[in-house]
Amino acid sequence: MNRQYILCVFTWLLLCLPAACSLQPEVDGNQVSRDDPVLRLFNWNNYIDPRTLRRFEQQCRCQVTQDYYADNEELLAKLAAGATGYDLLVPTGNAMDALIRQGALRLLDKTLLPNLKNIDTNYLDTAFDPGNQYSAPYATTVTLLGFNREKLIELGLPVDSWALIFEPAHLRKIKGRVTVLDSQRELMAAALSYLGHSVNDTDPEHWQQAKALIIRAKPYWAAFNNTSYIRELAVGNLWVAHGYSNDMFQAAQDAQKTRRSFTVDFVIPKEGATLSLDSMVLHHSGHHPDLAHQFINFMLEGENSAELTNLTGSGNPNQAAKSHIRADIIGNPVIFPDATKLAQLEMLTELDYKHRRLLSQIWTEIKLR
Amino acid sequence: MHRQNLTKWLTSLPPMLFLLVFFVAPSLIMIVTSFRFPGEFGGLAPLSPSETAAGEVASGPHGLTLEAYRFFFSDTLYAEIFLKSFVVATVSTLICLLLAYPLALLIARSDKRYRNLMILLVILPFASNFLVRIYAWMIILGPESALNHFVNNLLALAGFPPVMLLFSPFAVLIGMVYVHLPFMILPLYTNLEKHDPVLLDAAQDLGANRWQRFWRVTWPQSLPGVFSGAVLVFIPVLGMFAVPDILGGTGDILIGNLIKDQFLGTRDWPFGSTLSIMLMLAVIATTGLAAWLARARATVSPSSST
Amino acid sequence: MKQSNLLLWLMAMLVYAFLYIPLIIVVVYSFNDSRLNAEWVGFTFDWYDKLFRNEEMLIAARNSLIIAVSASVLATTLGTMAGLAIHRYRLKVLPVLAFIPVAMPEILLGVSLLLFFLQVLNMTLGLISVIIAHTTFSIGFVAIIIRARLQGMDESIFEAARDLGATPWQTFRLITLPLIMPAIIAGALMSFTLSIDDFVITFFTKGVGEPILPIQIYTMIKIAVTPEVNAISTLLMLLTLALIMLATYFDKTILRWR
Repeated sequence: MNRQYILCVFTWLLLCLPAACSLQPEVDGNQVSRDDPVLRLFNWNNYIDPRTLRRFEQQCRCQVTQDYYADNEELLAKLAAGATGYDLLVPTGNAMDALIRQGALRLLDKTLLPNLKNIDTNYLDTAFDPGNQYSAPYATTVTLLGFNREKLIELGLPVDSWALIFEPAHLRKIKGRVTVLDSQRELMAAALSYLGHSVNDTDPEHWQQAKALIIRAKPYWAAFNNTSYIRELAVGNLWVAHGYSNDMFQAAQDAQKTRRSFTVDFVIPKEGATLSLDSMVLHHSGHHPDLAHQFINFMLEGENSAELTNLTGSGNPNQAAKSHIRADIIGNPVIFPDATKLAQLEMLTELDYKHRRLLSQIWTEIKLR
Repeated sequence: MHRQNLTKWLTSLPPMLFLLVFFVAPSLIMIVTSFRFPGEFGGLAPLSPSETAAGEVASGPHGLTLEAYRFFFSDTLYAEIFLKSFVVATVSTLICLLLAYPLALLIARSDKRYRNLMILLVILPFASNFLVRIYAWMIILGPESALNHFVNNLLALAGFPPVMLLFSPFAVLIGMVYVHLPFMILPLYTNLEKHDPVLLDAAQDLGANRWQRFWRVTWPQSLPGVFSGAVLVFIPVLGMFAVPDILGGTGDILIGNLIKDQFLGTRDWPFGSTLSIMLMLAVIATTGLAAWLARARATVSPSSST
Repeated sequence: MKQSNLLLWLMAMLVYAFLYIPLIIVVVYSFNDSRLNAEWVGFTFDWYDKLFRNEEMLIAARNSLIIAVSASVLATTLGTMAGLAIHRYRLKVLPVLAFIPVAMPEILLGVSLLLFFLQVLNMTLGLISVIIAHTTFSIGFVAIIIRARLQGMDESIFEAARDLGATPWQTFRLITLPLIMPAIIAGALMSFTLSIDDFVITFFTKGVGEPILPIQIYTMIKIAVTPEVNAISTLLMLLTLALIMLATYFDKTILRWR
């Protein structure tokens, strides 16, 4: 073989390396310089207003980067698979429970968090984190049903009950126009609530009943979906969706903005629903705990906390934020439920491995049948 | 002689060490993991009580257990999924065989000048990224696609309700076949190319017709190639998760999807390892069977080549 | 005779069509001026434009290149050694170790490496873990190519060298190496291609926060399908096409074995 060809190919191969390294991404159009410390945030999709982030970056003279997850399971799985370097996470109560027990979180230094006093005491001192040693409450959502109001009135269907997605009598009218969450815990919680049990019920008998209920309703559902139901509701392809209250709020806003002939609405089913309290926590592998504390304190300020609610319609445990929140959101009984409604909501607790395994088996069966 | 030994070790040791560390050891780890308890919150429970992480309460199960295996056999569910995977693998292999054989035969019988080019034309689509090949079928079978509309129009004429081609077992099957077809074509071709045309001429002289010539002369000789190709299709299909994940519906899960879920979703590593071990055993059983069948064939027909 | 040839020819052409049409559709629609991959609207380079401005995609491409070059250098070196050793000496263990990763379902390799990296090495998943994983299954491929090349060579040339008093190292450097060089290059190109294309093993061994090309494509497919996927697919196809043609130019036996 010709020496030249060999030389050619190898040089080409070797050149790939520096060429590849020189494929640098462009710097974000920020006033912050690249040498500033970087705060790494691992957050839900769509769970912070970019303007809030920019303001914080100005204030702390640092950069904030975000990675996203769509599910607590995803967060935990990624952390278990060795993801390191995140300063802040925003897990829901039960996921936080797992993280605390694993010893994966740093203790909070309350002296750096004077704004913690802004939080409504109802949301402090939870069973997951007594005394709030590790977490500062961020936002709340309720898992419920969102729907096309006009369409359901036309079909004469009830909107305040889980029966809407579980009873064939109702489902027949909306076949193929319903989606449910692709989440083991949430769907089981809905089924258990409908059957009159607690969402944290672990009685195998009840689980089998819930499974039967779900399998019976499954043929009428269009899909198990965690993300695109927002869009589908807003454009009118879907009439009912099982999802999170802040997503439903967004769908309602989208439908309004695009001047649809229908409105998207959402209510808490009367049988009960799950309340998710998401909190900010510090992961032990983060490199900037000081910045992380700064960020938490910043987010605990009424104005900043309100920005999230105004953007996404998520519930807000921060008292000081109330005066900054839009009137229509504050007045919404779903986003800010009163005491009686609040009593109907439950938070999910973490399962031990035996039950996780059993649930996983039931979920496989649900998917398969 | 010393020199001989020295060079032998010099050349074989580095790759051997690398593979021992990064292939054998991980496999052993996987086997051991299937016998452990899952950690209370994902991952694994410690093997001994003293192994707990700082701050973690030393409670809960530890050590080795057969629980994951018991769980596997406790419900027919998992056997069902394995069976389903086997069926999909078998059907895919058969379809691949049906599609590959004519093409391989044609190339083998073509003029020597064109053969390399024709083979290159077979390999080129295979050169495209694996995901791209699957994605292509998402486009073709999509609900808005021409094909879907066409099929539904036909069905409407016949009075049947419309179907969705994508996110169905049908789509999964097509995807599996499409991705693995070259794996069947190449070994078949390699085998068919070596056939001696003289035998066919002799058969013709003896009065055999086209079909008999194929069935009695070509087919038996090609069996080693058929087996090679079959194994090269069957085994990857058995473990594949990307095709059902992208082209399949919620119920079209195969064993690969289940394994992936255990590791990246439920965080049940022991059970995921158990499923992987079961898959490994299934693969070993299949290759064993194929090897045995091939050997049985070899004793019957003297001309064997792969 | 003619009739059967015609039928055969027809069936074979249909299979060729089956192989190519889906890919042609992907390429064609990458130039389609429409979000939906449904009907042709107009010609545009928009999607390619969007692609090159997609920061994450560029980082993913960079990472994939780094991984592919590293893995192919490592795999070619170790694979060539393995191929030589297997051909020359009657080894029992090495062939098994090298060839099994090639034959078994990728998910098993991915999962076992994930467990190994996390439990035993306690390392953070990242580019290095992917490089190691890719090398592991590429070694076998390279070894097969090298061995095939060696099997086709005339042994007498080595005997002649030995008779003339050459040391093993001299034999290797002056005779063996130049003779198998095409196979080595072909092997390097093949492992580069395999690395760039790999999805399953990369899926399990990659770290968080470091995008890699096939995984990016997968995420795009699952979350929001836009013709950007078509664009990146087309580009990747061109790349691997060029690589494979280059590889077959150096070593035609690639065409026989896979």
